[in-house]
Amino acid sequence: MTQPPLTKVLPKKNRDYYLCIGLEGSANKLGFGLIKQAVNDPLDTEVISNIRDTYNAPPGEGFMPRDTARHHKNWCCRVLKQVIKEAKEKLGSDFDLKKDVDCIAFTKGPGMGAPLHSVCVFARTLSLLNDIPLVPVNHCIGHIEMGRCVTKGLNPCVLYVSGGNTQIIAYSNNRYRIFGETLDIAVGNCLDRFARVLKISNAPSPGYNIEQLAKKGKHLIELPYTVKGMDLSMSGILQYLEQLTKSFLTNDFKFSKQKKRKLLEYLNDKDVIDSIEITVEDLCFSFQEHLFAMLVEITERAMAHVGANEVLIVGGVGCNMRLQEMMALMCRDRNGKLFATDDRFCIDNGVMIAQAGVLQHRCGYILEKLEDTRVTQTFRTDEVYVNWRE
Amino acid sequence: MSSQLIDHVQQYLGEDFPIKLISQGAEALVFETSKHPFNPSLNKEYIIKYRPFKEYRHSQIDKTITKKRTVGECRCLVKLNTMDEINVPQLIAADPYNGFIWQSKIGQTLANGTFSNLKNFLWMNNNDENAYKKEVEEVLYSVGRQIGILHINHYVHGDLTSSNIVLEQDKSSNEWTPFLIDFGLSGYSTLVEDKGVDLYVLERAILSTHSLYAEKYNEWLLEGYKQSYSNQDELKQVLKRFEEVRLRGRKRSMLG
Repeated sequence: MTQPPLTKVLPKKNRDYYLCIGLEGSANKLGFGLIKQAVNDPLDTEVISNIRDTYNAPPGEGFMPRDTARHHKNWCCRVLKQVIKEAKEKLGSDFDLKKDVDCIAFTKGPGMGAPLHSVCVFARTLSLLNDIPLVPVNHCIGHIEMGRCVTKGLNPCVLYVSGGNTQIIAYSNNRYRIFGETLDIAVGNCLDRFARVLKISNAPSPGYNIEQLAKKGKHLIELPYTVKGMDLSMSGILQYLEQLTKSFLTNDFKFSKQKKRKLLEYLNDKDVIDSIEITVEDLCFSFQEHLFAMLVEITERAMAHVGANEVLIVGGVGCNMRLQEMMALMCRDRNGKLFATDDRFCIDNGVMIAQAGVLQHRCGYILEKLEDTRVTQTFRTDEVYVNWRE
Repeated sequence: MSSQLIDHVQQYLGEDFPIKLISQGAEALVFETSKHPFNPSLNKEYIIKYRPFKEYRHSQIDKTITKKRTVGECRCLVKLNTMDEINVPQLIAADPYNGFIWQSKIGQTLANGTFSNLKNFLWMNNNDENAYKKEVEEVLYSVGRQIGILHINHYVHGDLTSSNIVLEQDKSSNEWTPFLIDFGLSGYSTLVEDKGVDLYVLERAILSTHSLYAEKYNEWLLEGYKQSYSNQDELKQVLKRFEEVRLRGRKRSMLG
């Protein structure tokens, strides 16, 4: 294999590191980040600044594109100022955006159109005003590159789980190839929508709140479990649970006796079943157990299929400790290794966009026309040609 | 960890039962043995497939799934064995509560020393010189035909990947015969939807695992699949649904 051309473009001022600003806003999080990447090792990245501001919809609602876009527009300048302030603290007070930053990376897609667009306009403006090259980045590639860089994982199977995506990805022949993915909705979306039925708060995130409730759950209700090869489907389990929960809520947080006997049938003891009260916590617990079991199973299938031993979890749902725990157990049984990151890098952020962007910049990416920065809501992970890896 | 699992299997089968681990798949450990489970006069080569308890999932979920899949696989194997033209391993014995299945051994060793499943076969021929060989084309045709016959009989496999297709070479004619294995996610279904998804899963598996020549491979597979159908109406429906499922994939670019 030939070595990738990682130093086609050298950093400004003959430094031994690149500086790159990443702008991310594909969903309800607006995140800007500044990184410093060593010339001789693209995985040696130092985070100078990582600022994020999240738009939270009221409980029982999801975030609307127009409200989210407005939030991003309102906060762009303030977040950037914060980044520059932190950069001055860490890199010295003579840090100058125009003279020091090598490239500006922004999310081209996939994501929601309106929020993507508002950040894109900001990125174009910043680039034209300061004459800094602009690099459009695929959001999913950002997650993968950041995960690789934080964990120094070499060639892992990547499970990318977030509000809009559920994919199992492995690298081969200059592309991140998708081995398994959801056939309908994403796992984060699934959790969010369940939280909406229960009217759980959206701050800091619905998934986090479900996780906290699930910790107190004890009794398992059996739910649909749908795995198709290395793909999975989650609309069935969601719809079933939504209906169950609605009847549970209208019935004053209780199930009728018959219903309960049916739900807990596997216990095979009517007296025991009658003495059990099913709670909201139990619902969250059962939901998580089923969803994550499906995710871990398809990851294991993909690992067996490609013969990989390492797993890297990225994406917002990746901060869930129960998912990490289950994945770690699976890896142990296969004599493998799990890499996971914490919420700073799991949840959408600007740093990951910067990391993926600077890799493209180093390999000589040049934006030909400003029209090429147009955002797209549908941008698959395997469309990107990865020329920065062997 | 996997040594603990092997100990468990050894204990279950009896200390002196000769077994050899040949692969650790995603959900099952596959062993080779030369002993028939209950009839010593039939001692030949057998495969023991064991679905171990998965510690990561809740014990109740695990119990339900293990039982469901083991029983499902046995049913499929028995049914498919009664049909002509379909090549699947023979079911010898099963213990669904503990997750054990005995079946006849299929497969051999390829020229490069790997096991003769379709994945290794294609990887062995993964260069411009060999990938377009008649041999490869023939193999993929007959694999397509097998899947077609499966679907005509209203069975869907549920997990079609190149590792779940095992090849056996005829000693005199040197022709490869494909066998379908691993029916854990299979079942009886008359729905066009399930067949379409089955084809889609296979196409995706080929695309991701054998990306260099995937287009050609998929073309050959589909050609073989089409040949197996005598009822053109049914075939048309399945292929139409297959197209629909493909478009349904997430984040597809909307151009073309």
